[in-house]
Amino acid sequence: MSDRARNIVSITVIVVMAVVLFFLVSTRPATVDRVAEIGSRIKCPVCQGESIANSPSQMAEDMMDLVAERVSSGTSDEVIVDELLGSYSGAVLLDPPASGNTLALWIAPVAALVLGVIVILWWRRHPGQDVEEPPPPGRSRARLIIGGAVLVLVFAGIVVFAANSLQDRPAVAAGAADLGEEDLSDVSNETMEAVIAANEDDPQIVGMRLALAERYFEAGDYRSAFPHYLEVAEHPSATDPEAITALVRLGWMAFDGNGEVETAVRLIDQALAIDPGSQLALYVRARVLWCGSAETEQAIDAFEGLLAQPDLAPETRSQIESDLDAARAGESCP
Amino acid sequence: MLGLLGSAGVVAALIGSVLLVIRGIGLARGGEGDLRRPAKLVLAGAVVSMAAMQIALLTDDFSLAYVANHHATTTPFPFDVATAWAALEGSIILWGLVLAVFTWVVARRPADRLGAAALAVMGGVGIFFFGLMLTVANPFEVCVDALTTGCAASSPWPFAAVDTPVEGPGPNPLLQNHFLMAVHPPVLYIGYVGLTVPFAYAIGALALGVPGPEWLRRSHRATLVAWSFLTLGILLGGWWAYEVLSWGGYWAWDPVENASLMPWLAATAFIHSGLVQQRRGMLQAWNFVLVISAFALTILGTFLTRSGTINSVHSFTQSAIGPALLGFLVLVLAGSFTLFAMRSHLVASSPRIETFVSREGTFLVNNLLLTIYAFIVLIGTTYPLLLEAFTGSQVGVGEPFFNRLAVPLSFMLLLTMGFGPVTPWRGAPAGLLWRRLRGPAIVALATGLVVALTVTRVAWVILAIVLGVWVAAAIVGLLIELAGKRSAKSGSSVYTEAKTVIRNDQPFWAGQVSHIGVALVAVGIAFAANLPLHAEVELAPGDSVEFAGYTLTYQAPFRREEPNRLVQGVRVQVGQGDRVLTTLEPRANFYDNEMGGIITPAVMSRPGGDLYLTMRDLDSETVLLGLDTSPMIWLLWLGGLVTAAGGFWSLAARRRERVLPEPRVMADV
Repeated sequence: MSDRARNIVSITVIVVMAVVLFFLVSTRPATVDRVAEIGSRIKCPVCQGESIANSPSQMAEDMMDLVAERVSSGTSDEVIVDELLGSYSGAVLLDPPASGNTLALWIAPVAALVLGVIVILWWRRHPGQDVEEPPPPGRSRARLIIGGAVLVLVFAGIVVFAANSLQDRPAVAAGAADLGEEDLSDVSNETMEAVIAANEDDPQIVGMRLALAERYFEAGDYRSAFPHYLEVAEHPSATDPEAITALVRLGWMAFDGNGEVETAVRLIDQALAIDPGSQLALYVRARVLWCGSAETEQAIDAFEGLLAQPDLAPETRSQIESDLDAARAGESCP
Repeated sequence: MLGLLGSAGVVAALIGSVLLVIRGIGLARGGEGDLRRPAKLVLAGAVVSMAAMQIALLTDDFSLAYVANHHATTTPFPFDVATAWAALEGSIILWGLVLAVFTWVVARRPADRLGAAALAVMGGVGIFFFGLMLTVANPFEVCVDALTTGCAASSPWPFAAVDTPVEGPGPNPLLQNHFLMAVHPPVLYIGYVGLTVPFAYAIGALALGVPGPEWLRRSHRATLVAWSFLTLGILLGGWWAYEVLSWGGYWAWDPVENASLMPWLAATAFIHSGLVQQRRGMLQAWNFVLVISAFALTILGTFLTRSGTINSVHSFTQSAIGPALLGFLVLVLAGSFTLFAMRSHLVASSPRIETFVSREGTFLVNNLLLTIYAFIVLIGTTYPLLLEAFTGSQVGVGEPFFNRLAVPLSFMLLLTMGFGPVTPWRGAPAGLLWRRLRGPAIVALATGLVVALTVTRVAWVILAIVLGVWVAAAIVGLLIELAGKRSAKSGSSVYTEAKTVIRNDQPFWAGQVSHIGVALVAVGIAFAANLPLHAEVELAPGDSVEFAGYTLTYQAPFRREEPNRLVQGVRVQVGQGDRVLTTLEPRANFYDNEMGGIITPAVMSRPGGDLYLTMRDLDSETVLLGLDTSPMIWLLWLGGLVTAAGGFWSLAARRRERVLPEPRVMADV
């Protein structure tokens, strides 16, 4: 076979195969796993850097169940994503949109590519001097000054930045340290779990345990919060405010999570037995009564009793007032 | 006692590092001096400190705060040894030890001016890391306030009144759950720290004003060692995630995974662009930029992993080390680039590239793609941190972002990898390229067709296979062509001549082995990511379920006590047709220092891929099982090993070459 014939045959074979392959691939019925796809776009609120599709945590599984339910009922992706972001605090979109404050993320790689191509083309036309005639060695004075100035500026920047970050984030020693009194905002849930588990018998640990439980509670992860609140409530060395908070939270979770109004009221009453004037306990008790039972009258009484307390914070007072108005108007709780 | 010994080791290593800097600078300026002794002092100090830590761990010496907080009497071998690098302070000892070994190896050669300057830079890096061990990350602090388990307060002063706890909490459960966690950090650290050597030579060359290829030649072996270990380390990390983290994946674009990928990408680009400078004298300035970036990225990676700035499963600790590492990073960048700017009139010269259709042209494309790749990973990893630090608003950047950009880039890289090896230096006639590449194109498309007709028509999988085969076929085709030509002349068989061809240019062919490894990784990822099956089933004992062609039978739950943990799981028999293949034990491991259990998957590997079972929930009657498949995932592990093997094989070649006299090298200086 001549070279020419061989070329023609090769080209034909390549083109035909490429076309057939493209046809085969593009006619495959698309089976997109929408549930997994949406799941991979949402960060799990109680884990660290994992999407809800990847996380084994209970909360992520609940969220995935919700996604599956919505997908099967024909809801659109965007609506499902918005619902998840709206109803779970701490859930973040892992798929930054090409708009707003994440636009730069999408522009930067393209800009870098364009810049790279320009630099290469420029270099092609304007290469440096040929190696045969090297410039005289040594350093130029102007360059030295510019370089030094840059160095000084950068260092000033670092010192300011480091000082700021040190101030915001007090160091927390690994493992365990002065438990309880430390600012825990920087410590991960996992670390707290480990420290708590390692020091179960240490009376100082109750404060950290409560902080961790509050964190889970705020993220809506009742299942993880529950054992910690229980432990705090039963712990002999818990202070009164700690025990009250734990009991009230347990009560609210019993109502909100499991719909057990009686258990909830009983737990909150235990808290009130410690301190009959606890505003938190009184308020949550009133809400449980209002939301969970037909005893709206009792709830209204309870709200009114609370408002009679002189030392209410202004926000709490206005919250209670709006709740009271709604309850009086016969509305169900929001 | 051990605290004192360890601290003494650190002080010795620090003194050695200071001496290296002082004498190194003196020697580089043309003075006299010996650098081997300070290098030996650094090594001896680092070895002593690591030994002190190991003895403390193996003898349960809880008087050291590090041991008290990260070790327990029940921690079994080899995790007690690995605890030395399971948390921040200990991992810095390992870092220091690896750095000391590299420094010693560099110092073994008789030091000329360039070598002395490089050693001075390595001494500077040593001062920083050994300095850390004496200040913000002191692993040898003694416990002065014992808790029931662990230590509440510690003192850096070795003679402080010691309050020794009787027991510690043990290492992070995730880390003692699998032996890979004992191996993965040292391997990765050899990769990270190894990049210090080319960086040191580059800075030395810049400082001395000798930007020629000598610094590349001198650091070439260290670069290859670092790159090979980095490859292996990333592979082991992915494998660990797969075996332990129980979601069936190996890579999630977690910031800490990204931290290891970024230096790898930069180092890969550097290995290629370094070749261009050695062969053609081009890209001098670019090589400096790349090697400085690669080293800076290892420091950034350490900062991301160890400062607790991002919380992820890897960032198991937080400490004041963050600002220190960040400061060092900026010092490295600002210092290096200032020096670079001061010497720019020396490095900017490079000969004109004749045509882009040449080996150096493909290397340019390769470098552009790899750099953009590293940049994407960098910006995706740091953008949320920067945005939150400066504006307080939270955004997430995860898998969808990275996949959307990295997948097309990876395919473009594969396409380029087909062209590169068959394109000659200085330009190729179009006819030659066509003759060399039409065969691979036909083979690749034909393989794609066969797979599309028999296995799957998923676009990404087909594309990965076509490009993967394209890469491999181009390499094999080139070998056959070169061997065939020789065979036509000499009359011996093509096979014999192929061996000669490889022997004559082993570094090149070793590189091609790595290329084939990368192609295997791409195909493995495409299969595992696009064709997995997933189901969740609730089973009572005796129940069976069909999944992915297997029959799974839930036999019974089990519970067993192990020295450091309680294991609770279920036995699931796996059968196919009438045959029983195996019994799997998906389980949860309960450690004393963790409330919840660590869900640990059970994996059955077969030629078609893995069956991956996880125990989601277990109660007295039933078990909730997660069932997954990872098709062809072994291709990914194999590909990673082959890629690293290419690097190691290339090293073997260099050693043989060194037997030759080296006048050529000296003549260039």
